[in-house]
Amino acid sequence: MECYSEQTCALAVDGELAVDEALRLRDHLTTCRRCRELVDALRAENRVLSESLQELPEEAACPAGFSPPGWSWVWRDLALMAAVLALGSIISVWFDELSIPAALEWFNPFSPSGFTNLMFNLSYYFAHGGTAMLTEYAGVVGGLFLLSLLGGSALLLARRRRLPKPGLRLLMVLLMLALPSFALERRHGEFVTVSASETVDDTLLATGNTVRVEGVVNGDLLAFGRIVEVRGTVKGDLVTFAKRTVVSGTVEGRIYNFSQSLDLDGQLGHSIYGFAQSLRVNDGGHVGDGIVVAAGEVSLEGEVKRSVDILTSGNADVSGSIGRDLTMAGVSLTLTNTARVGGNLSARVHQAKEVHIADGATIAGKRDIRVQVRKSRFTRPRFYFHQAVWFAAAMLVGWLGLVLFPGFFRATTQAVGSGWLSLGLGVGVLAGVPVAMVVAAITLIGIPISLMLFAVYLAAIYLAKVWVGAFLGRILLKPSRATKGDWVLGLLVGLLILTIVGFIPYLGGLVRLGVVCLGLGAFAGQLYRASRPVMTA
Amino acid sequence: MDAKRNMAKEPQPSEGETKQMEGLGLESVIERAQGHDAEALGEIYRRYVRRVFGLCRYMLNSREGAEDATSEVFLKLQRSIESYDGSIPFPRWLLRVAGNQCIDALRRRQRGLKVFVEVEDGAAVIEAASSAPSPLGAVISTQERAQVRDTIARLPENYRVPLVLRYYGELSYDEIAQELGLERNYVAALIFRAKQELRRRLVHRSK
Repeated sequence: MECYSEQTCALAVDGELAVDEALRLRDHLTTCRRCRELVDALRAENRVLSESLQELPEEAACPAGFSPPGWSWVWRDLALMAAVLALGSIISVWFDELSIPAALEWFNPFSPSGFTNLMFNLSYYFAHGGTAMLTEYAGVVGGLFLLSLLGGSALLLARRRRLPKPGLRLLMVLLMLALPSFALERRHGEFVTVSASETVDDTLLATGNTVRVEGVVNGDLLAFGRIVEVRGTVKGDLVTFAKRTVVSGTVEGRIYNFSQSLDLDGQLGHSIYGFAQSLRVNDGGHVGDGIVVAAGEVSLEGEVKRSVDILTSGNADVSGSIGRDLTMAGVSLTLTNTARVGGNLSARVHQAKEVHIADGATIAGKRDIRVQVRKSRFTRPRFYFHQAVWFAAAMLVGWLGLVLFPGFFRATTQAVGSGWLSLGLGVGVLAGVPVAMVVAAITLIGIPISLMLFAVYLAAIYLAKVWVGAFLGRILLKPSRATKGDWVLGLLVGLLILTIVGFIPYLGGLVRLGVVCLGLGAFAGQLYRASRPVMTA
Repeated sequence: MDAKRNMAKEPQPSEGETKQMEGLGLESVIERAQGHDAEALGEIYRRYVRRVFGLCRYMLNSREGAEDATSEVFLKLQRSIESYDGSIPFPRWLLRVAGNQCIDALRRRQRGLKVFVEVEDGAAVIEAASSAPSPLGAVISTQERAQVRDTIARLPENYRVPLVLRYYGELSYDEIAQELGLERNYVAALIFRAKQELRRRLVHRSK
C-alpha cells in the first residue's frame, strides 16, 4: 500500500481529515513505520507550536534577550535623538563659524601629540579626583536625562493619543539643544573677550579661536579655543580645552587643564589638575595649593604652596619653590640651585644619572630616589597574582553578563563566528569611536554623549575577550547542549588560552588586538541587531 | 483553551464585588453579561484579556495595534455577546471574534492590498519536497521555544495569521477559512507551508 503524503498526515494530526480517510490512514499506520514516525513527529511539532505560543508574544519580541518589551522602540528613539543631537551640535558650531577642530587637534588621538597624551592621561586624571569639573557636566547630563524622561513620557502618551510623533521628537531635540543656553552664559566667535571693564556674573562658556579674559568672571570659566588667555580675574574654576592656555591674571579656584600647553604667570588660588604636553609655572607664577598633573614636560620656576605630583614622559625641571613634597615619576628630574622643596623628595626614574640635583638646592625632608629597573614581569609573583585576579574578574563579568543578558551574550558569542565581518566591523568601531567622541565633544552639549560613548567603548573593549573567549571555548569543547555551565566552561578554556597566547612576544600583541577587534565587531553587530525593531509590521 | 489557567495567571482584584464574580461559573457570568451586567463584562475581560491580547499581538505584530484591537474587541463585546449561543466553547468564540477584529485591522492597514487572496487554485497540493527539513523536535528548551515564538512572529502575514489562529486560537480549518474568506483547502495549504517555512527558518537560524 502506498504511503501518505506529509500534507495528508499533517491534516490528520490537526484532526482535519475526513472520517473515512482518517480511518484508512490509521490502518496504514499499524503497518507502516515510516508514516507512523512522520505522524508522531508532526504531532510533536504541533505540541511545540502550541507550547511556544502559550507565552505572550512580548517575550518573543526580544530575540536577543537583550531588551525588555518596547525597548527596541526606545533604543531607536534614543539613537535617533543622539544622531540629531550630534548633527545639531555640529551644525550649530558651523553656523557660529567656530574653528574648534583645529584648536582641539592635540586632543585628537590620531595626531602625534594627542596620541601620546590622551589615553593614559585620561585614566590618570580620573584617578586623581579631577572630578569637580565633572559636576558641571553631571548637571548637564542630569538635565538631559530629565528631559529624556519627560520626553519619553510624552512619547508614550503620544503613542496612546496618537499625536504626531515626529513633531514631538523634534520638540525634544530642540529642547535638548536649547539646554546649555539657559544653563550658562555662552559666548562664541572668532575672538571672544571679556574686556577689562566688564564683569560676567555667571559661569561663562566661551568658545572661539582666541578667548581672552581681561575683566572679571564671577563664576567658572569654561573655555574652548586655540588660545585661552586669562589676564583678568576668574573667581571660580578655569576649565580649559585649548592648544595654549596662558594665565597671567588671577584664577581664584582651580585650573582643570586639557590644553596642550599651560603657562601660569599669575596667581592661582588652589590647585592645577590636568594633562598637558607642557606645563610651566613661570617666575611670577604662584599656586596657592598643589599640582597634580600628567605632562610631557614640566617646568616649575614660580612658587607652589603645597605638594607637587608629576607623572611625566619627559623632563621635570624645578627651579622655584615647593612648599611641601615633590613626587615625580618620569624620565628625568632636575633641581637647580634656586630650587626649594619644603617636604620630601621622591622620584622614580629609570636611570640614576637622569636625576640632577644642584648643590644649592634645598630639600627639607628626605630624599627618596629610586631607579626602576625593568625586570621581566614573569619573574615576579605579583604578576601571577594580578593575572589571576584579572582572570577571575573576567570570568565573573562573563558569568554575570550571561545571567543578566543571556540571549545577548550568547548571540554576541555566536556573532564572533562571522569572522572577517566581525573583525572588519571591529576595526571600524575601534578607530571610529574616538573620532566620533572628538566630534561629539566639540560642543559642550556633546560632551556628556562623548563621555557615555567612552564608557560603553571601554566596557566593550573589556568584554571583547569574554565573547571571543567563550566562542573559542565553544569551538574547542563543542558542547552538545548549550547550557549556562557549558558556556562558562567554554569561557574558562577560551580565556585561559587567550591569556596565555597574549604573553607571547609580538604575536601576543597582535592576538590581543585581533581579539578586541573581533569582540567589538560582534558586539556592535549584535547591538545593531538587538536595537533594530523586531516586529516589522 | 482554559479559562482556569488564565484565571490563575491574573492578579487577584481586591474589590469584594469582583471576588463574588470570580466564584461564579463561566456560564452564569456570560448569562449576566448578556443581560448587560457591567461587572460580568468586567469579569470576562479579566479572565480573557491576556489571551485575546496574545492573539492580537501575534496576528498584528505590533503592540500598539494589539492593544487597540483588544480594547475594540471588549468594547464591542457588550453587543456582540448577545449573539453567543453556546454552540462552541466561549473562549473559542471570543478568539474567533478577536481574530475577525484583527483581520479587519490588517485589511484596513493595507487598504487596496488584498491581504488574503488565493493565488493558486484552492486544491493546491504541495509536493512534499524531500529536501524540506523534518518536523520540529518533540522536546525543546525554553530558549528554543522563545526562538520558535520569535520566528513565528517574523513569518509573513499570510503564513503567520492562519498558523496563529490554528495553534494559538485553536480554531478549526473551517473556522479559519470562514474568518479569512478562503477555501478550506487553501487554508490547509497555507498552514502546511507556514510550518515548512518555519522549519526552514529555524534550521537556518541555528546554523
